[in-house]
Amino acid sequence: MRLDRRSVLGGAASVPFLALHAAAARGNVLNAMMPAEPGTLCYPLLNTRTVQQICGNIQESLLLLDWNFKPQPNLARSFTVTPDGLVYVFHLEPDVRWHDGAPFTARDVVFSCDKMLRQLNPRSRNAFNNCESIRALDGLTVEFRLKQPFNAFLLSLMASNAPIMPAHIYEGSDFRTNPHNFRPIGTGPFKFARWERGQYIRLTRNPDYWRKGYPRIDDIYFRVCPTPEQRMVALETGAVDIALADDIDTVVSKRLRANPNIVASTHGYEGVGEIQVFEMNQRRWPFSDRRFRQAFMHALDRDFIVNAINFGQGKVATSPIPSSAPYYDPRVLTRYDYNPAKARAMLDEMGLKKKLGGVRHRFGFLMIPDGGGVQTRGAQYVRQAASEVGLDIELQSSDWATFAHRTGNWDFDMDNNSYGEYGDPAIGTSRFFVSANIRKGVPQSNIQGYRNAEVDDLFAKASTAIDPKEAQAHYSRLQQILTRDVAMLWVFERDPMLYYNKRVHDLVSGPNGPTDGFGRTWLSREA
Amino acid sequence: MNRLAYIARRLLRTVLVTVAVVLVSFFLIRLAPGDAATVMAGQSGYADETFISSLRAEYGLDKPLPVQLWKYVTAVARGDLGMSYERRQPVLDVIVARLPNTLLLDAFALVVAMAGGIVLGALAARRPGSAGDAGVTVLAMLFYAVPQFWLGMMAVLVFSVWLAVLPPFGIETMGADYTGLARVADVARHMILPGMTLALYYMASYARLTRTQMIEVADQEFVKTARAKGIAERQVARRHILRNALTPLVTYAGLQASILVGGTVLVENVFSWPGVGTLAYEAVTARDNPLLLGIFIVTAILVSLFNLATDIAYSIADPRVELGR
Amino acid sequence: MKEFLSRLLVRPQTLIGLAVFAAIVVVALGAPLLFPKGPFTIVGMPLLAPGSPGLPAGSDVLGRSMLVGLAYGARVSLLVGISSTCCAVGIGVLLGAVAGYYGGVVDDLLMRFTEFFQIIPAFVLLMVLVAFLQPSLFSEVIGIALITWPQVARVARGEFLVLRSREFVQAAQLLGESDLRIIFRQILPNALPPIVVVGSMMVGSAILTESALAFLGLGDPGLMSWGSMIGASRSAMWVAWWTTVLPGLAIMVTVLALNFIGDGLNEALGPRRRQ
Repeated sequence: MRLDRRSVLGGAASVPFLALHAAAARGNVLNAMMPAEPGTLCYPLLNTRTVQQICGNIQESLLLLDWNFKPQPNLARSFTVTPDGLVYVFHLEPDVRWHDGAPFTARDVVFSCDKMLRQLNPRSRNAFNNCESIRALDGLTVEFRLKQPFNAFLLSLMASNAPIMPAHIYEGSDFRTNPHNFRPIGTGPFKFARWERGQYIRLTRNPDYWRKGYPRIDDIYFRVCPTPEQRMVALETGAVDIALADDIDTVVSKRLRANPNIVASTHGYEGVGEIQVFEMNQRRWPFSDRRFRQAFMHALDRDFIVNAINFGQGKVATSPIPSSAPYYDPRVLTRYDYNPAKARAMLDEMGLKKKLGGVRHRFGFLMIPDGGGVQTRGAQYVRQAASEVGLDIELQSSDWATFAHRTGNWDFDMDNNSYGEYGDPAIGTSRFFVSANIRKGVPQSNIQGYRNAEVDDLFAKASTAIDPKEAQAHYSRLQQILTRDVAMLWVFERDPMLYYNKRVHDLVSGPNGPTDGFGRTWLSREA
Repeated sequence: MNRLAYIARRLLRTVLVTVAVVLVSFFLIRLAPGDAATVMAGQSGYADETFISSLRAEYGLDKPLPVQLWKYVTAVARGDLGMSYERRQPVLDVIVARLPNTLLLDAFALVVAMAGGIVLGALAARRPGSAGDAGVTVLAMLFYAVPQFWLGMMAVLVFSVWLAVLPPFGIETMGADYTGLARVADVARHMILPGMTLALYYMASYARLTRTQMIEVADQEFVKTARAKGIAERQVARRHILRNALTPLVTYAGLQASILVGGTVLVENVFSWPGVGTLAYEAVTARDNPLLLGIFIVTAILVSLFNLATDIAYSIADPRVELGR
Repeated sequence: MKEFLSRLLVRPQTLIGLAVFAAIVVVALGAPLLFPKGPFTIVGMPLLAPGSPGLPAGSDVLGRSMLVGLAYGARVSLLVGISSTCCAVGIGVLLGAVAGYYGGVVDDLLMRFTEFFQIIPAFVLLMVLVAFLQPSLFSEVIGIALITWPQVARVARGEFLVLRSREFVQAAQLLGESDLRIIFRQILPNALPPIVVVGSMMVGSAILTESALAFLGLGDPGLMSWGSMIGASRSAMWVAWWTTVLPGLAIMVTVLALNFIGDGLNEALGPRRRQ
């Protein structure tokens, strides 16, 4: 017997437990989920997706991004940049108060950017280490003086990089043990209300929010939902209103998209720009040989990966820069179509001939742990595709500790991974290719050991160029070199799916999506 | 032997075994590659040396192993199980918050399993070789052979996906925030699928055990004597056979306690039940060593105490049995 | 031997068990011949229903044939079940024999050890072991053997404890035979029947344990096992029942057959019959 969705739901309409779920979802309350409880609600201390989604409602950034990746005012109502690109001055929104009533001033910005974020958050360090000085010119004006121009500077002030933290709470305390890490204070549209361990985190509307007329929701619940199946059912029954990236296994996307009560959207993660990749340890042969990497790309049917393995979600990646982000240049890319015959010929040519048993080379593939989800399925496909061209892959499963330890210490042949570009290659992409970021013991760095002096030079020039055209020229050249080199095996752009109940409106208002919080979101009553 | 002295000796042994558990697991866990700091660095997707080293310093992972062990053991001796790396909360608080959920599930399963198992076993033993007996035996063997996690998934498939009559996941209706009796009813409804999944396996073993015990006891002299005295067969079955056949069940229940506490991992995982089982699974994957060790210690103590209780109950139920070896 | 066989084969359940088990062994051994391309070959779109062309049991989340997966899964289950049991029996008999024969400190230590395993949640310990040794066939076998050997040890110890005071052992001791010879030549053959019974039941439970590990993602990623087939289909179950129902049935039938055989052995070798 195979029941389709409609008959399941039809049968369910009269069933008490489903009805109760629906009743729970009423009211001006938004129900969201989290796969696991975060270890802290101190944004800079643990910059994971869950923390971003919760704290994005509590803490705010100086600027927001519009859909064209152009900075828009937030806590900073305006800013000026000197023509040499070295001095940024931000004029802060007056009359902003922290949730405990203390006024928000330039001191908070200086403290956050110069001390707290720089000390705790690796992502912010990347940006603020470019600063020669960060100081308050007066109570509502902050000046950032850069050592050299950095054209991604404004982008790196977005929420996930630079949430502004309260100086009066944290200054002089041990950031790691401050009790407010569990009941955060911010300037945002929602205040922390309650953490019911094992069940939910509740945020409540900030009645004194500086942006008049907002927020439009009374409460937000983030409910613990550990397994993908549970999250799917919670969404279907209306127990929760929204499912964010990776909450739902793509296996069931068709079922959810067919549900008339659920809206599916791929907008809201452009600012992350996540690309699914395979990494190779280029210190080892044959991964060190460009021809091997090129041949491997030809052995992969990436359309199949997107359509069958990821159930049509996402699109084939052609560049280290996501196609939806600035600087992407389709004209310069070397493309690799699915062509196993060509792959075999290239492997023959580089001298990797078939040995006894029809195997050219045998190597390991360290799988990133994702609980048997799309990454694991992708790895299993790769093993199959590689065997078609005479490469024998041994899959190695891991947990997070093993994966991070082995990749960080360069103890692997090949792995699968993904990275976020975060709106600018200087923030999210260069770290995987510049030789200065080859750092033993650090996962998610240039663990492949890719080294190319020209690439180093171009990344440096591109991020310091004041003229956008010049930056584009450098990034185009970079994309040309990196794709020709197959500096990394880009597989597909994730385009994570956001699902939400149709009673939810204005869920996202920019490419940073849920990270910017739900201050503008509203709920219709009739649904 | 003196009951108090016996209890004291047993408690001492519990302490010793617990210490062994701590030592073994402490070193075992550290054989693995990576630590909690690397886990967080990997998951955050953007890490550097400062991030990792400051986490190691916070957790004390930068100290030599013997120092770490000494600090841990002395803290445990004071009743302090340390802080969970991943949750940044005292381990004891984390476990205590989850323990009632697991014990609730266990208690439900144990009661259902014992009651159902004894009834089925007694029915089967009444006429060995009959169709009813064969039915019970086959059923018992079936539930013995089914993977528990799969039985749970099938229960979800039938009762939640197809029939849509029972909630598949969690311990209570998400967002309903019931109080009082409504909450009890809600939890009870959520407990049916995981509870029965857990119970059926144990019910099978209780049914088998009851059956063999009853057949064996029925063969013994005192039963024959009772029958010879002309006592009604019903009374013989109930007073003499069942009662004597049940005493081993108590011991068996004691032995199962450890399986129950640790054995809920799979069922809790399938049903997203927020108990110690899911906690243990999370602790393993996150290399949350203090939490994992804490779970070992707490379950070791619980199981020992439960075993002791069943031993005492056994000696009370059957005065011929002396405590001790 | 003849007598034993006739006692064993008298029960219909045992016969069924043996027949089913033999069939599973044939499938396991024959899988590479029947399906030479292996279980990982993608043959179509994912989640096609059973009965689709060329897919009698449907396809899984990756578009691989469920039927081929089920056939290859039998290999993993039997391999892990039997080899982990052999390891456990080996360790258990050795330590149980020493403890039962010599008694004293060795015996005390062994009993403490088995107590340790009674108190600690065994499955959690197993998860720790396998996760930390890195999931593979090897770590699964070692892990399962490590948590199950005390069962065998207890039985072996009990038998040796009884048998060491029998006349034939005392006679051998008087004749000056070495302890090693006495343990292995004199006592072990006599202690074997209950050990065989325990071992036969352990194969089934080892298969169940393996499937549970694989279900949680702690199986060998290079092998197609029934547990991992179920684990990979947790979400898919909601749209394609066959992805979870079929591998589970395969496990159940296999374990059931083994338990029938174990029961038959128990009857044939049981203490009441032996006297």
